[in-house]
Amino acid sequence: MEVKLDKQYPLDVDATRAWQLLADLKAVAGCMPGAEITEQLAEGSYKGAVKVKVGPAVAQFAGQVDVLEIVPAERKMVMLGKGADKGGSSATMNLTAVITPDAANPAHCVLNGTAAVIVNGKFAQFGGRMMVQVSDMILAQFVENFRQTALSLPAPAAAGGAAPAASADAPAPAAPPKVAGELNGLAIFWALVKGWFAGLFGKRA
Amino acid sequence: MNAPAQTAEARELALAGMGASRLRKEDARFIQGKGNYVDDIKMAGMLHMDIVRAPVAHARIKKINKEAALAMPGVHAVLTAEDLKPLKLHWMPTLAGDVQAVLADGKVHFQMQEVAIVIADDRYIAADAVEAVEVEYEELEAVVDPYAALQPGAPVIREDLAGKTEGAHGKREHHNHIFTWDAGDKAAADAAFANAPVTVTQHMHYPRVHPCPLETCGCVASFDPIRGELTTYITSQAPHVVRTVVSMLSGIPESKVRIVSPDIGGGFGNKVGVYPGYVCAIVASIVLGRPVKWVEDRIENISSTAFARDYHMDGELAATPDGKILGLRVNVVADHGAFDACADPTKFPAGLFHICSGSYDIPAAHCSVKGVYTNKTPGGVAYRCSFRVTEAVYLIERMVDVLAQKLNMDKAEIRAKNFIQKEQFPYTSAFGFEYDSGDYQTALTKVLDAVDYKALRAEQAAKRADPNSPTLMGIGLVTFTEVVGAGPSKICDILGVGMFDSCEIRVHPTGSAIARMGTITQGQGHQTTYAQIIATELGIASEVIQVEEGDTSTAPYGLGTYGSRSTPVAGAAIAMAARKIHAKARKIAAHMLEVNEADLDWEVDRFKVKGDDSKFKTMAEVAWQAYHQPPAGLEPGLEAVHYYDPPNFTYPFGIYLCVLDIDRATGETKVRRFYALDDCGTRINPMIIEGQIHGGLTEGFAVAMGQQMPYDAQGNLLGNTLMDYFLPTAVETPKWETDHTVTPSPHHPIGAKGVAESPHVGSIPTFTAAIVDAFAHKGVTHLDMPHSAFRVWKTLKQLDLAL
Amino acid sequence: MAKKLISVTVNGRVQEKAVEPRTLLIHFLREELNLTGAHIGCETSHCGACTVDIDGQSIKSCTHLAVQCEGSEVLTVEGLAQAGVLHAVQEGFYKEHGLQCGFCTPGMLMRAYRFLQENPKPSEDEIRMGMSGNLCRCTGYQNIIKAVQYAAKKLQEQAATA
Repeated sequence: MEVKLDKQYPLDVDATRAWQLLADLKAVAGCMPGAEITEQLAEGSYKGAVKVKVGPAVAQFAGQVDVLEIVPAERKMVMLGKGADKGGSSATMNLTAVITPDAANPAHCVLNGTAAVIVNGKFAQFGGRMMVQVSDMILAQFVENFRQTALSLPAPAAAGGAAPAASADAPAPAAPPKVAGELNGLAIFWALVKGWFAGLFGKRA
Repeated sequence: MNAPAQTAEARELALAGMGASRLRKEDARFIQGKGNYVDDIKMAGMLHMDIVRAPVAHARIKKINKEAALAMPGVHAVLTAEDLKPLKLHWMPTLAGDVQAVLADGKVHFQMQEVAIVIADDRYIAADAVEAVEVEYEELEAVVDPYAALQPGAPVIREDLAGKTEGAHGKREHHNHIFTWDAGDKAAADAAFANAPVTVTQHMHYPRVHPCPLETCGCVASFDPIRGELTTYITSQAPHVVRTVVSMLSGIPESKVRIVSPDIGGGFGNKVGVYPGYVCAIVASIVLGRPVKWVEDRIENISSTAFARDYHMDGELAATPDGKILGLRVNVVADHGAFDACADPTKFPAGLFHICSGSYDIPAAHCSVKGVYTNKTPGGVAYRCSFRVTEAVYLIERMVDVLAQKLNMDKAEIRAKNFIQKEQFPYTSAFGFEYDSGDYQTALTKVLDAVDYKALRAEQAAKRADPNSPTLMGIGLVTFTEVVGAGPSKICDILGVGMFDSCEIRVHPTGSAIARMGTITQGQGHQTTYAQIIATELGIASEVIQVEEGDTSTAPYGLGTYGSRSTPVAGAAIAMAARKIHAKARKIAAHMLEVNEADLDWEVDRFKVKGDDSKFKTMAEVAWQAYHQPPAGLEPGLEAVHYYDPPNFTYPFGIYLCVLDIDRATGETKVRRFYALDDCGTRINPMIIEGQIHGGLTEGFAVAMGQQMPYDAQGNLLGNTLMDYFLPTAVETPKWETDHTVTPSPHHPIGAKGVAESPHVGSIPTFTAAIVDAFAHKGVTHLDMPHSAFRVWKTLKQLDLAL
Repeated sequence: MAKKLISVTVNGRVQEKAVEPRTLLIHFLREELNLTGAHIGCETSHCGACTVDIDGQSIKSCTHLAVQCEGSEVLTVEGLAQAGVLHAVQEGFYKEHGLQCGFCTPGMLMRAYRFLQENPKPSEDEIRMGMSGNLCRCTGYQNIIKAVQYAAKKLQEQAATA
């Protein structure tokens, strides 16, 4: 089953630091709850794993991520990720991520992601109807971690642009955020349900 | 021992024979929870089997790791195709001339295909062990669209058939092509179309659905290593065929194989084929020397057992401007899934689809069916279809409506105009079927009068004229003829065994009787209806006639129950066997009364001397005599067996009319009225007929209004649980009105034609006809099923009719 | 998995058995107690073939653990007839031809039994709604409705003469 994603996430991080993080695949993997890069196979090719838990059922996706293209001038990264779980699910993701600076505010940027995800096996059979919503939620978690990680990087040099002074309300934690050891499907589902109910009453989740 | 003095009418009533709506003899055990279904069976030392299934639709198997599963306490064995190879059982023949993998042999062809089996002490351990088996797959591109499957570069599904250009049914044109089968006269049909003043064409898809009986498939296989005998309790609609197949596959002589179909919780064609699970359980039992039980769960049932339909049909009609049909052409692409495991008579890879000229006198016709492999569950023939009669009737009834709309003719009028007339029977159709009898016009008039058809059309016209009408009203009319009772052995066989059927009857000394047949009831009430046939033939109360089916060690050989064949074939065998007994009884009675046989009359339950009512012998008295002192020249005892090879199929027919209202805001359909008139010839038990009609109409409602088996592009079957698969509850199910006419079959010993697939065959196009009719004034000629609220709502939106 | 000792009254008899905590009630009834009347038709709790009566409620035993029945009173179809006399619902299904293959029947009977205590004088629509947790593939429900109506009438007559 195929899911197409085309998302734009405004971030209160400057484009330079965002791109610095994006180009570091190991660190980016660290922003995905339950994910890690375990081994570098070659230049731009890595073995990775994602652990997903839904109640007592745990799926361990083992797979490979290949960076197909890195274009620093465009702050663009294209990658292909493939994983399979021994229990009978598999997923393939073709992702293009681009950081575009915010013309109005050099301290901000936009993380653009276009992806085609194909999910096969048990997850497709039984989770199909929730695929889009669950993907949205996972991505939202990822983006928040990405943002915090990027903000924790040392600020870029002042050359060519206004020094991005930390504004009063921008959180700048000393260390990268603590990312959950596994992707908790039930927690996501619960958040989904809460969001749906909230939507019924006109509130934005 | 003398029967009490009673009128003939009273004795007739006491007999509860043919025509009586007598209550069922089998109910006692079911209403007290004492049925005996396969999963109820427990045997000493019995183990449980569960199946490891493929999570993806098309893949190579790189590695199967059994260690973790084998290490679990309580696990006795884990078997894969490699373990079946030495026994040559990793592949098995299908009923359609193809082969099917018993366990995936290096390659997976459809999602949920059987890959490995685990045998364990109980079902919980077996389920845990299934999760522990590790299989490494290399995914391949899947193809789920049969048209895409026939493209030049399409993925190769059946590598085991590489290079085989001849299939079981002729030439194979492409690696995913199975067969092309045709019937009728193409030249005559083409000529009719070339000169026709009016032609219409319509493409339609009869979507893939699943019979989903409430009891899933399963078996308990028990090989006795000391006696060298195999006994298997199995959910099978054809136990004798299973015995023959099992003997051929296992090498155990048929005389040492016993197959028992106990009580079966619904078949509907889902329990005809031999599934890998059965073969594996039998192998496991032989290997381990212990009984092995395998019962699938609902997801497995929907995902891996015989589905129904999936016919993509292109129909064409040629006609005169006033609606007389001149010719019919049909082309079908048939999606059989990964293996052609259809349960069809050998010579008919498209079943009896060529009944598609229907109830109409069509002079020239041709149909062609192209079978295709895809990465989906194997099968195609199931679900009360009478061997593709569902598809055929759907096609012709849709086409007649399309023609009616083109010519702006009333849908009842165009049918009446084209009916085969009563005087034309027996009628040979353009496809070669010899229809035995029918009177369509009488039945149609009866239905139209009963519903006040004119008033309905007037109401519809008024609603159409009102732009604010909250609903769209649709009237669906279907006048179908089906072909059942397979069938004459010269054209109908299953794996070479002719499709006759059988009955053996034995009358006991004290006047009760036992009878066994080669069919097997799955709810059709044979224990009651068969006893009723015998009761009338022999004058023994049906209450004391014991009917048994399903045990191949005691029942005479038969081809089983499906395709509405029990009454036409086994019912005939019953009558013929009973008549043999009746003839012998007549001789004995004549001897006892010291008259010639010609001086005797038969009345209800006795032989009476003509002109002297006081001189008679009841069948019970004759039975005693047969065991006490038969006349010279006659053997003792009173029994007979008959194997009946039918001379022809039978042709029941029906007229169904549906009125429904579609809510313009939601797309929801409310069935206002459904009038179903069936003619199945002689009616044995009207109550049982009516019950089955209700059931078939409800299954038809489910198919037309909500059932589907949606596969995504990768071959994942989305919606294989009852969360998604629409089984109507008492709330959605409409109220049914039933009616009948009786046009006996002239070639059948009791004039009966068979019934109970007809409501499914006939109702599905009726619902579709009504839905389309609701939109007909906007030029809509066809809408594919299912007619769920969402799909209908989309049509409302497209046509700017939504409120 | 360590077993737990439970004590449950089934059809009037106290049963003390050791069960794994994960054992479903349907399997406990069918395999441990040999009460094979309740059937398994699905694994998503839709079909109702497993319906039994626990402490005055219709319960689908496929989604109920045996250990949850500690101290409870369970009634199955085998316990409906009393001293060889069929219960009104059983008689109704027989008289009105409310069954064909019989697989859904025990669940239907147990649900009808409880439903008529919840609603002794139901309308047809109320019967359809009240029985909507039990699926049938053979009958189309029409005669099942008549069977429940028959039983309702008989139970009221019995109550009137009691």
